[in-house]
Amino acid sequence: MRRLLLSIRDGRGFDIGLVSVPLIFLFAMAGLPLIYNIVMSFQEVDMFSLGTFARPFVGFKNYITLFSQPETWPILGNTAIFVVASIAGQFTIGFALALFFWTGFPGSSWLRGLFLVSWVMPGLVVGAIWNWILSGDFGVLNFLLKESGLVAANIFWRSDPNFSLWAVVIANIWLGISFNMILLSVGLSAIPQDLYEAAELDGANVVQRFYTITLPMMRSSIGALVALGLIFTLQQFDLFAAITAGGPNNSSNVAQYWAWDLSFRQYDFAQGATISVIMIVFVMFASVVYVRSTRHEVRG
Amino acid sequence: MTLHQIELSGVNKYYGAYHALRDIDLKIRKGSFVALVGPSGCGKSTLLRSLAGLESISAGDLVIAGTRMNGVPPRKRDLAMVFQSYALYPHMTVEENLTYSLRMRGVGKEEARRKAEEVATTTGLSALLGRYPRELSGGQRQRVAMSRAIIRNPKAFLFDEPLSNLDAALRVHMRKEIRALHDRLGATSVYVTHDQVEAMTMADHVVVMRQGVIEQQGAPLELYDRPANQFVAGFIGSPAMNFVPAQVGADGRSVVLDLGTPHTVALAKSLEAGRVLIVGIRPEHLQLAGEADAGLRLPVGSVESTGAATYVTTATQPELVVVLNSRVSIRPGETLPLHLDPAHLHLFDRETQIRLA
Repeated sequence: MRRLLLSIRDGRGFDIGLVSVPLIFLFAMAGLPLIYNIVMSFQEVDMFSLGTFARPFVGFKNYITLFSQPETWPILGNTAIFVVASIAGQFTIGFALALFFWTGFPGSSWLRGLFLVSWVMPGLVVGAIWNWILSGDFGVLNFLLKESGLVAANIFWRSDPNFSLWAVVIANIWLGISFNMILLSVGLSAIPQDLYEAAELDGANVVQRFYTITLPMMRSSIGALVALGLIFTLQQFDLFAAITAGGPNNSSNVAQYWAWDLSFRQYDFAQGATISVIMIVFVMFASVVYVRSTRHEVRG
Repeated sequence: MTLHQIELSGVNKYYGAYHALRDIDLKIRKGSFVALVGPSGCGKSTLLRSLAGLESISAGDLVIAGTRMNGVPPRKRDLAMVFQSYALYPHMTVEENLTYSLRMRGVGKEEARRKAEEVATTTGLSALLGRYPRELSGGQRQRVAMSRAIIRNPKAFLFDEPLSNLDAALRVHMRKEIRALHDRLGATSVYVTHDQVEAMTMADHVVVMRQGVIEQQGAPLELYDRPANQFVAGFIGSPAMNFVPAQVGADGRSVVLDLGTPHTVALAKSLEAGRVLIVGIRPEHLQLAGEADAGLRLPVGSVESTGAATYVTTATQPELVVVLNSRVSIRPGETLPLHLDPAHLHLFDRETQIRLA
């Protein structure tokens, strides 16, 4: 102990001292709850044992129970659809916008800045606005679709089981576009202009330049963005709470909303923790992709 | 086939109100090595980029190999450019960098690979074909940039200060290598540099630019021997030419240099008596003389010796720099007897700064 104190005082252990502060913080605020959550998923938890750690361990019983429930697979399927469709939509539109603003027309940087407005809006507010837009009887989206002749009758986005998940996907895509666009814009502006000039003189046309210069040079940006997108969409809770609340009949329910519903509405903490653990596995995978792609920066 | 590979006539370029290139007329012979040289901001890079098509010209004609190229996009001009930054594709190996232009033109994989190996052999890159640019040294990157240009046999090579990122020794070496490559390929090259030594040693034809205007163009020694104006005279040659305000003597056969005190030297030909002018004297043309035949005796201000040459700065107003190619023991404060051949005097009008015929 004395040596440890001394090493901090004489400066040799100072670096360790500095690093330990955030590490302790991280462990207390993120590590412990995570471990506690994993432990809970192997215990029998009810309202009466909530206040104690000494709960009976039940092995994989919670997992077996979870997967024997009829709604589990549809909800995990919904989660997969939600994640893939959201990321695909956010990325495609975000990339298109980033390329559009990258052309640098007058006022482009101003307009790009304005896009960040969607970012400062709370998810619940965004959800409330999309509720109006998606509304079955008087929603703007239905008006546009009907007037343009794309659909014959009103779509009840939030109450039709065929559309309820997509209602949230649409809102989530809108919410995520600006984040994607900004990150991709940063990636684009990091590509040196002379590479394009060299490619142009080497005989590459616009499409060839995009596929041989832009995309490969953006690889690390895109990898990081998709990994972050996976984490953010798995976190998306507000929009479900505001737009469909997982309904009707679980048709728009996803793992993260279900975990909350089980834990804090049905007080089945063990099941809620079990779903969370399954999600942690996916997020860990995304984190590895994120760390790897930010480490593999390509620059000559 | 036309004699001129690149012809510019009446080329002007504006950036908004800024007039970047003014009435550029330039004919580049097939197979010649042309250097565009001038201080930064003189328009030499703009001119090169206009040739490449990376900048559009506002007025005038650009003809490459007999075809007017004004609005033609860069990829259809069939020119190769070596960038100052090299602009290597960082995500591609050396081989992929070399074959990029071939692949973009639909050349087959085997053929491209064969050509890459061929070029790599001539430029000494054979062992590096599998490496990425980040794994190469500055000189090797430079070679890759060169190889990428020569692999496809373009109508002309454009060089944009390609040696400025190399250290001094490598620069001198690459200078020779680029010139040798040019001669071997029989290529037409346009080379932009701010270093007049590079321009003088490498080029057949030097174009000196200032503020968007071609001040003078010609063979390197022609520019050295007969600079058209004071700017070119001061720009070409190292150390730079000395300039002294002067007045033609009453006899018209001599000129009085105003070096704080008047010094009279002979002229090679007679001029109107009393005319005011600027006399240019190259440091290497002032030579040490015996006491008897000294035309000019100047007080010594400082002496620097590199071993091979001695640089003397005179204690006059303005100062003169003298380069002596022998080892001499002179100390500041002494008087230096100098000989000056009247044929080596450069005379410029004091108002227009233009050379007197």
